Order: sequence, then structure tokens, then C-alpha cells
Amino acid sequence: MTTDQATLTGFSAWLDSLWAMSRKELTIMARYPVEFVASFAQVFIITLALTLAGLMFARGGVQQAGNAGSSTAGLVVYGFILFMFLSDTLWTIGYNVRREQKQGTLEQLYLSPASKFASLLSRVTVTLTWTSLMSVGAAAMMSAMIGRLPFENLPLGIFILIMALSGTFGVGFAFAAITLRIKEAGQTLANVIQFAFMVVCAPFFPFSALPGWMQNISRAVPLAYGVDAFRSTLMGYPRGFPELAPIGVEVVVVTIFGLAMPLLGYWLYRREEDVARRKGSLSEY
Amino acid sequence: MNTTLVGRPTFAQNLSAALAEVRLRILNISRYPGQLMMDILIPIIFAAMPMLMGRASGGADAAANFQANTGTANYAAYLLIGASAFSIVLTSLGITANWLRFEQETGTLEAIYLTPTSSATLAAGGALYSFIRGLTSAIPAYLLGCLVFGVNPLEGNILLALAFVLAGLIPLFGVSLLFGAVVLRVKESNSLVNLMQWVVGFLMGLFFPVAALPPFVKAVALLFPPTWMTNGVRSALLGVGFFFGEWYLDMAVLWAFTFFAPLAGYRLFHRVEQGLQRNEGLGQF
Repeated sequence: MTTDQATLTGFSAWLDSLWAMSRKELTIMARYPVEFVASFAQVFIITLALTLAGLMFARGGVQQAGNAGSSTAGLVVYGFILFMFLSDTLWTIGYNVRREQKQGTLEQLYLSPASKFASLLSRVTVTLTWTSLMSVGAAAMMSAMIGRLPFENLPLGIFILIMALSGTFGVGFAFAAITLRIKEAGQTLANVIQFAFMVVCAPFFPFSALPGWMQNISRAVPLAYGVDAFRSTLMGYPRGFPELAPIGVEVVVVTIFGLAMPLLGYWLYRREEDVARRKGSLSEY
Repeated sequence: MNTTLVGRPTFAQNLSAALAEVRLRILNISRYPGQLMMDILIPIIFAAMPMLMGRASGGADAAANFQANTGTANYAAYLLIGASAFSIVLTSLGITANWLRFEQETGTLEAIYLTPTSSATLAAGGALYSFIRGLTSAIPAYLLGCLVFGVNPLEGNILLALAFVLAGLIPLFGVSLLFGAVVLRVKESNSLVNLMQWVVGFLMGLFFPVAALPPFVKAVALLFPPTWMTNGVRSALLGVGFFFGEWYLDMAVLWAFTFFAPLAGYRLFHRVEQGLQRNEGLGQF
């Protein structure tokens, strides 16, 4: 029996392999229903804890639940949604590469003719679908507890979200490249970057809450423009928003980030992968 | 020829084994200084999130609103205490759960149960290590956080606060054994353990007083020793008010937990352990 060369190359082959790999990830996920439900419940508990914490600063405390201004609700809820998506795209690829290393299957994967890009992308496809569902649920709960959610300029909001996610895919590839090099220390680095993101990109509070010098650092991070533009757009640009730059500038920054970063990240990953193959360190961990 | 008699280990031998376990873990973590640094930074970032969010939403009235809802206007110290206490709890629960899971995954759990050293001795060593690690990260985190947010860390009755922390550590060992029992039973438990850690954080009043919770949830929260520890420290340092009005009454409750929680935890852990030993469950993961 022979295999037609055309079935192994080209765009349809790439899509087929992406679909097959994503199905594999989904199958693994579905086999651990406890993990599945627990991760969902965890998001709600964190959301609830943060919301209650925010209410402690409101006049009337928890009695005021559901009555906060729509700007406050939009600021926190949209920031939280973006944070959930970005966390997935940023870390999942690197973690999965690490998992294959630990299980000893990374070397074998690189001996197969399947697309490496599809292999990396499939790691986040299922997670992103799952995160979308969680985001809707978490947003509904937070909105009920904090206040009515503003919902303006939806097409532009979705465009900014897609560009921000695309950019973080690129950062995810770059992080996977670093993981190949620094191995176990990658997890600590991931924590550092994630917490730095929580402060510098201000997903849970306005940038004006940061000291001036830290706002300058935020202005040097493209992702911060993504957070600012996304929530400001969906909130309908209330007074003082966007905070980092005029919306036109922010959209340009986010678009460049979304288009250039995946190319740069993937280039870095392939470079590190070549180094690892030449050194024979792909399966070392 | 000398012969060695194998029998039940003496107290001195058990103590030696537990201390060896502590030494092993300290040696291991000392190889990851980045992780140790993160242990100190994470509580500060945890506390910063609601602080920045609350400052932005509460505006000029943030401190006054916070005082009306929690009993103190010093929200920075309040949140830092919650986050530091949470890090002690996370360390304690995580170390026991991760230890058992690691042994399961690497296939050494069965072998451990065949040595004369009991699992209780090893768990006690792990608990002692978690107390050391929890305290050596939580106290610097609180002090550094106070420095960052411009708060006086030496305000209030420091000795009483330390007494509450120390009294809270032993019942925490009991809770961590309950976690261990869950890990042994459920096996694929990473998300479940993460969820339970957040549930405990939520119930202990990480960012808010438990009085803000609905009556049933509040009653459940009061069954958790960390709730009493956190409130005791906050009351000693910030004067937010002890649950029973006087410090010695709250301390008495914590002491009651000190006697009952480890016994209850160990009993359940032992039961699960025996069940698994009888039903070929130890070597499976």
C-alpha cells in the first residue's frame, strides 16, 4: 500500500493533522472529568473571592452587590476575561512541550512528518474553547455581583481580542522555546511572567491605579495596550479611557503585535528546537 | 558477626527519619532559588490585586468604605495578612498533596509503604518542612509588602499575632492530611487540589471578613482552623475584632482544633491508606 504524497503535505493535510491533534487533546481532557469540573469551579471561586474583595471598598459592602457602576463592572469583568484567555495562550504551549519532555515523547513527535506548528497550535485549541465557555459563565456571575455590563462596539472589541490572542500565541511560542532551553526553571519563569502581567497589564484595575513609573513600564508592553483597548472599546470609551494612548494608536499597536509576534515566536521556537536536536537534548529534562 | 534486629522503630528513630525528610526537602528547594523568591512575591501580588481594584473603584472613600466593611482602614495590612496566611495554608496543603502524588506518579509509593518508617512519620517530616517554608516566606512577604505599600508592619500586638500563627500550624497539619487522603483516593487530582486550596482560601477570608459570607457558608468557614488563625492575626495587629470578643477565647478554639484536627485528619488518612493497601490501589495512579 502506498500513501499519496499529496495527502501528507499542503493546507488540507495541515488542517487534518491539527484536527487529529486537537481531538487527541480533547480525548485526554474528557477522560478526567474531575479535573474538568474542578478547573471550572476554581475559576468561579477565584472570581467570587476577587469580587467580594472589591466590594469591601464599596459603600455598603456586600449589600451593594449588583449595584456598582457599569464602568466598574466592565473594567473588572472584561479585564478578567482577557486575563483568562491570555493565561491559556501564554502558558499552555510551553507546559505541553514540558509534559512531552517529561513523558519522553517529544523526541518521537519530532521524528513524525506531522506539522510542528499544528502540534503547538493544537495544545491551545481545546483549552481556548473551554476557556470561552468559562469566560461567559464567569462574566455572567461577576456581572450579577458587581453590576450591569456595558456592551458597546462589539466588532472592534472582537478584532482587538483576536489580535491580542494572536500576539500572545507568539509569546507562547517564544515561551515554549525558552522551556526547551531552561527546562524545569521554565515553570518558575512562567509564574514570574504571569504575575508581572497581572500587575503591568492591569487586567483587574485601571492603569491609573498604578504609580507613574509603573505606567511607563506598561506603555512599553504591547499586551497592556490590548487590555486597555479591549475593555475601553466594549465600555464605549467612558471619560479617561483608553488610558495609555488614543484608541487609534492602541489598535495599531495591538494589530502589529498580533501579526508580528506569532512569526517572531515561531521563528524563535524553531531555532531553539534545532539547537536542541543538534545537541541531542530534546528528550533531556 | 553483628546482627541488626528489625522491629518497630523507636521514637528517636522516627524523629530522625522525620528530620531527614525535612533536610532532604530543604536541600531540594535550595536548588531552586527562583521558586523561593516567588514564594515571597506571590502573596504581595495577591494582596495588590484587590487593593488596586478597590482603590480605583472606591476612589477617595476607599479607606473609609473598607473600614465600614471590615473594621480597619488599613486595607494594605489587612490584605497582606490574608495573602500571607493564605500562602502558609497553600504551602502546607500543597506539600502533602504533591508529595503523595509525586510518589504515586514515580511509582515509589508502594515501596515507601514497605519500609519500617511509617507514612505518618514521613507526613510529619513534610509538615515540619511546610511550616518552615510557609513561615520563611509569609513573614518576609508581609514585611516586604508593608514596605512596598508604606504600612507600618510593627503596629499592634505582634507577639499575640505570632502566637495565633503558631497555634494555627498544628491544626493545619490535620487539614493537610485530609488533603492527602483525597489525593490517595482520587489520584488524578491536581485540579481538585488547586480547587480545594482556593476553597480554603475563600473560607478563611483571604480578602474579606467571613461576616460578609451568607450564614451557612460562614458556619462552614468557622469549621476551618485557618479562618481562626487569620482572624486572630488581623485582630491582634489591626484590631478588627475577635470572633468571641476576647483573644483568649479565640485562642482556646484554635487549641481545640490543635487537638482534634490532626487526630481526625490522621484517622481518615489512615483509613484511606488501609483501604488502598487491601485493594491493590497503592501502586495505581
